[in-house]
Amino acid sequence: MRNINVYHLYPGYLNLYGDRGNMLSLYRRAEWRGINLEIIPVEPGENINFASCDLLFMGGGQDSDQKLVAEDLKTRRTELQKAVEAGMVIFAVCGSYQLLGHYYTTVREERIPGLGIIDLYTEAGGERLIGNTLIKCSLWNPPRILAGFENHAGKTYLGSKLQPLGRVISGFGNNGFDKTEGAVYKNVIGTYLHGALLPKNPWLTDYLLQKALAYRQQDDQLDELDDFLEIQAYRSAIKLTGKHPDKLNLL
Amino acid sequence: MREEKRQGVAKKAAAPKHINRNLRTLLSIWVGKTIMSLTRIFGQGGTTLPGRIALKINPQVSAVLSSQLDAGSLIITGTNGKTTTTALINGILKEAGLKCIHNQSGSNLAWGVASTLIESSSWWGRLHQNCAVLEVDEGSFPEVVRNIKPRGIIATNIFRDQLDRFGEIDHIQNSIKKGIENLLENSFKVINADDPSLAGINPANGKNILYYGLELDLPAYPFQNTGRDIKVCPLCSHILTYDKIYFAHLGHYRCEACKYKRPLPAVKLTDCQNDHKNNTTLEISTSDQALKLITPLMGTYNLYNILAAIACALELEIPSKTIIKSLDKAIPSFGRMEPFEYDNKKIVMALIKNPVGTNEVLRTVLTHQDGKVTILIAINDNIADGTDISWLWDADFEQLHNHPDRLDNVIVSGSRAWDMAVRLKYSGLEAGKILVEEEPQHAINKSLEHTDPGGRIFILPNYTAMLELRRELNRMGMGNPYWNREEIL
Repeated sequence: MRNINVYHLYPGYLNLYGDRGNMLSLYRRAEWRGINLEIIPVEPGENINFASCDLLFMGGGQDSDQKLVAEDLKTRRTELQKAVEAGMVIFAVCGSYQLLGHYYTTVREERIPGLGIIDLYTEAGGERLIGNTLIKCSLWNPPRILAGFENHAGKTYLGSKLQPLGRVISGFGNNGFDKTEGAVYKNVIGTYLHGALLPKNPWLTDYLLQKALAYRQQDDQLDELDDFLEIQAYRSAIKLTGKHPDKLNLL
Repeated sequence: MREEKRQGVAKKAAAPKHINRNLRTLLSIWVGKTIMSLTRIFGQGGTTLPGRIALKINPQVSAVLSSQLDAGSLIITGTNGKTTTTALINGILKEAGLKCIHNQSGSNLAWGVASTLIESSSWWGRLHQNCAVLEVDEGSFPEVVRNIKPRGIIATNIFRDQLDRFGEIDHIQNSIKKGIENLLENSFKVINADDPSLAGINPANGKNILYYGLELDLPAYPFQNTGRDIKVCPLCSHILTYDKIYFAHLGHYRCEACKYKRPLPAVKLTDCQNDHKNNTTLEISTSDQALKLITPLMGTYNLYNILAAIACALELEIPSKTIIKSLDKAIPSFGRMEPFEYDNKKIVMALIKNPVGTNEVLRTVLTHQDGKVTILIAINDNIADGTDISWLWDADFEQLHNHPDRLDNVIVSGSRAWDMAVRLKYSGLEAGKILVEEEPQHAINKSLEHTDPGGRIFILPNYTAMLELRRELNRMGMGNPYWNREEIL
């Protein structure tokens, strides 16, 4: 039987914006295919052993929680970096996406140092960027459209060599300015999109599952599932941005 | 006798007799009232537009009107329990012989308050009531307090709710603090001691605070996987230690780093027993008296609502007999476990709008009675609901999946019906049991079709979905439209 170990980082702290939806999407879509996916909650102060982690999930948190988490994670930066270079999968949403970068400046102009795993930085300020979002995502060829909801005060800027997760079709993206959304480095995906993102973009869930399987040299073929409800939710999310799903090149 | 009671309550001061009803105020009232009549003719319970326009004409209109109230105004804010607490306080004040203004339909932004006051006033800007009991949204709280200068405020709790409008919890906390600091010096503050983020607000004007809280040995809350919204000390950000948790982050907490801890409540619930008829007997004690009362309201969240109302009434020096008499006959508020009946089928409507409230509603629905139920969940994403519906994933809809024998089908409706359907599928419910009907009337029809005579339907909508579904139920001859609904208490 195929196995995936998902480490859920600080579920008691980083749990804003329906992150549980992302966990449930990974869990059920593995379960429906007979893959044994185990979710291991990691609390602050615990010594995580990244050697047994295939997929690390990090959710969103508010400023006060994020500071706490940043301090705790600093002690494990080197191991995390090593795992990332070896191909461990990370899916980080919102607050923890910011945390993967060099630093995050809060609205109160407090600078929280990040992990510096990927080349980006974030500054809070100005209007909150809120709303339904569509991005054209090049994890697939041809690219696919992802539909989510963003809600963030931080504006993130990517280093010149870092790939975004997608190009904004509708919404704000990383900073409301350069049309990029999220970031991809090796098997690390960071994004502002929630809603939750994975349940109604099941192909992204499957992408993460496949990468996690391949990381441990397991067969990464996944059976087709009946995604009728998911696709309807996806289409209705697209309509909310004023676009028509049939007029976009979806697949 | 009545007169006597009233004097205790209305001791505020003589009413200011020189009402500043200048032309701008009158114009703003006239325009507000005119729009109100027009929107009603077209069958909408307009609570937003009239106040919005009236405030444009005269931003002081709420201040001018409310200054006439001889017993003053009370403002209730917080994430959960505003509507029920407001209704309970309103009921107690009526029992004490006062005439109250009350924003019943949950229209609780600054313009909703203006609409309510304008509606109550004469065309010449006169109010004939003694007091106003108003629920006010956390975001509008500082502004409404600054305008209305209430005699007292009640802060119920802070949970994650409508993130798109407020941002995060830190922000809501700041807003409530700002509102409290906008109060007049001698105004009283009734605050939930069990909520660390509220009790830790520590406003600059820290006098006249009355805390309330639970002192019970309740069984542990079985659905803990939502995580608590507030886990760190509001003063030093260290992780809080809990000796008791009643639900989510409400309980007996202390910080081991800075020694901050739950303030001792002056009004506390010391015992709570359910009988088999779904009535709850409560024992409440204060520094100088003990109250015992029976209530039909269900759920832990209602214990807090009742306690908040009692604390406020005691602060107003209302005799405990009057309080008990009023609470004994309290019935659920608008859309909060509100009952209807159709074709020998019982329908109960319960608003859901955030994870903690939803968990409590589901728990109440699934544990209070046995037998099959049909459930209709309706989720819209209009501005008044919050356009960010990601909270659906944080609520424990798994509870439905854990009671497979209780339900055959779940009907989902509203503009985000498909998101809700996906949520239920991933909770473990079979996809075939989830029926999607985006239109409210179709959803109601389908629910009735799937319910046997004598059976029960629970309708769980978020805010605007509730308004739509209610309108539909009204059209079918159930209940009254909220603008001419009989006062409920």
